[in-house]
Amino acid sequence: MPLDTSTYNLALLRVDGRRWNELRRVHAQIRTQAAADGSSYLEMGHTKVMCVVTGPSEPGPRRGTGGGGAGGAGAGGAAEVVVSIVIAGFSSVDRKRHGRGDKRTLELQSTVANALAASLHIHLFPHSQVNISLHVLSQDGSLLAALINAAALACVDAGIPMTDYVAACTAGSTSTYAANDEGADPLLDLNHQEEQELPGLTVATLGESDRVVVLVCESRVQVSRLEGMLAVGVDGCKQVREILDRVVREKGRRMVQEGTVEKGIGLNEMDVD
Amino acid sequence: MPRDAEPSLNEKQFVITALQENLRLDGRELDQYRPLELSFGDQYGAADVQLGKTRVLAKATAEVTVPYTDRPLDGIFTIATELSPMASPAFEVHRPTETEVLLSRLLEKTVRRSGALDTESLCLVAGQKCWSVRVDVHVLSHDGNLIDASCLAVVAALRHFRKPDTSMDAGVLSVYTPAEREPVPLSWLHSPFCVTWSFFGEEGEIAVLDATWLEEQVRVGSCTVSLNKHGEICQIAKLGGTPVDAVSLLQCTSVALTKVKEFSGLLDRKLAEDLKRRDKGGFMSELRAENDR
Repeated sequence: MPLDTSTYNLALLRVDGRRWNELRRVHAQIRTQAAADGSSYLEMGHTKVMCVVTGPSEPGPRRGTGGGGAGGAGAGGAAEVVVSIVIAGFSSVDRKRHGRGDKRTLELQSTVANALAASLHIHLFPHSQVNISLHVLSQDGSLLAALINAAALACVDAGIPMTDYVAACTAGSTSTYAANDEGADPLLDLNHQEEQELPGLTVATLGESDRVVVLVCESRVQVSRLEGMLAVGVDGCKQVREILDRVVREKGRRMVQEGTVEKGIGLNEMDVD
Repeated sequence: MPRDAEPSLNEKQFVITALQENLRLDGRELDQYRPLELSFGDQYGAADVQLGKTRVLAKATAEVTVPYTDRPLDGIFTIATELSPMASPAFEVHRPTETEVLLSRLLEKTVRRSGALDTESLCLVAGQKCWSVRVDVHVLSHDGNLIDASCLAVVAALRHFRKPDTSMDAGVLSVYTPAEREPVPLSWLHSPFCVTWSFFGEEGEIAVLDATWLEEQVRVGSCTVSLNKHGEICQIAKLGGTPVDAVSLLQCTSVALTKVKEFSGLLDRKLAEDLKRRDKGGFMSELRAENDR
């Protein structure tokens, strides 16, 4: 379903009125489910994702094709990160049935699991399992990025030690793969329409560094476009990281105010080694 | 579920320490492929790729079927990968492992979604008849870097493949046998190839091409880049793993482009050789009564 985004060149505004370097509204909450070890809810524009983390806990019986498992569970040296993703039937415009064995979902699961396993200190929990279950409520582009961000927030809420946030976002380019125009602008944070029509990639970085955890590109694009797209993507990840950090700090401050937790149990008083 | 035997700690340490000194166990450079052999079968559409001890066979077939109702003008193109226990004890029949799912997704994204095969040309009668082209990937021996080898085998098989010629005459569709009319090649638009980088070291600072199975078991992350010789990226997949500096990923992509041009040249050369081997000197020489005896 090709849509016309060729008006970009006239006003330098995208279909939803953003400029090239603007993120959509990111709204996030943590500790949304009281009973879970960790939980989060994240909106990136109209993409809405919920995440519940259980663990680290004793691993249950092994499921056959459980999908995304990462970490050295076999060696017993580290916890296994198991991700399951449920894409709700009502999440996109055309109501599609997503089977459990859908290869795309399996790939997403494995990507999220491997991305988080890189930042979580799973080696501290041998012979255990971290279960991350993600629910996609609404899809409007940048799905993988939203899933990674939501999972990272929920892991923070679950109190699993981690190096830093894994923050993700998408970047695209206004040129089509055929056009060899030099004036193509990179775009930040694609929505569904742009994702359908323009080449784009998903980037996830670790913390404030330029180090890329996930890089997924699924469309045809000239190799010369990659540098620009990657630069914009990495920059976007830093903005997303700021937003995630603000959400966590805000929640912490409010919990102190409400008296849910005692103030002063900071890092300096804890035994960090 | 059977597992592959993991390398021992000493073995792991040995591989990693050697790599930190820019040495590989088989004496290759870090960005050097193992000797690559590509051969075609007697039938059209069978390609056999050997990359060191890794061996992959791809076979393309075509049959006439009914197109999908939501895509009446497109033919059907599928890539089937099944990793059999022949390749490794960790693979079971009818139970896709993560390796298999990721491999088939990568091939699908590289070859199918990048539009390498023009599926509209497979349509015979809109909404009623179309060609269904299927490539079966068989891994005969698994010694690492399945992705690059399988992708090369799939592309080679499809470029080598000929489907029976057809004609439409007054609403009657006829499919000709090879004896009646020479089979025709598929309408092929571009040839994408995968190049997989494996990363080693604490920060993923050592990037290695064409990892063997031992190296794959030790690596901390990998990144597969699919390109064609025109410098178009068809797909990039770095699915998690240790974070790698963005700049070094860009360098990996540009090295990958030179490798892809080599693959592309190799495939063109092999296809030309095979064509020469099959060409018996035209119609008259085929009708000759003389034979080698």
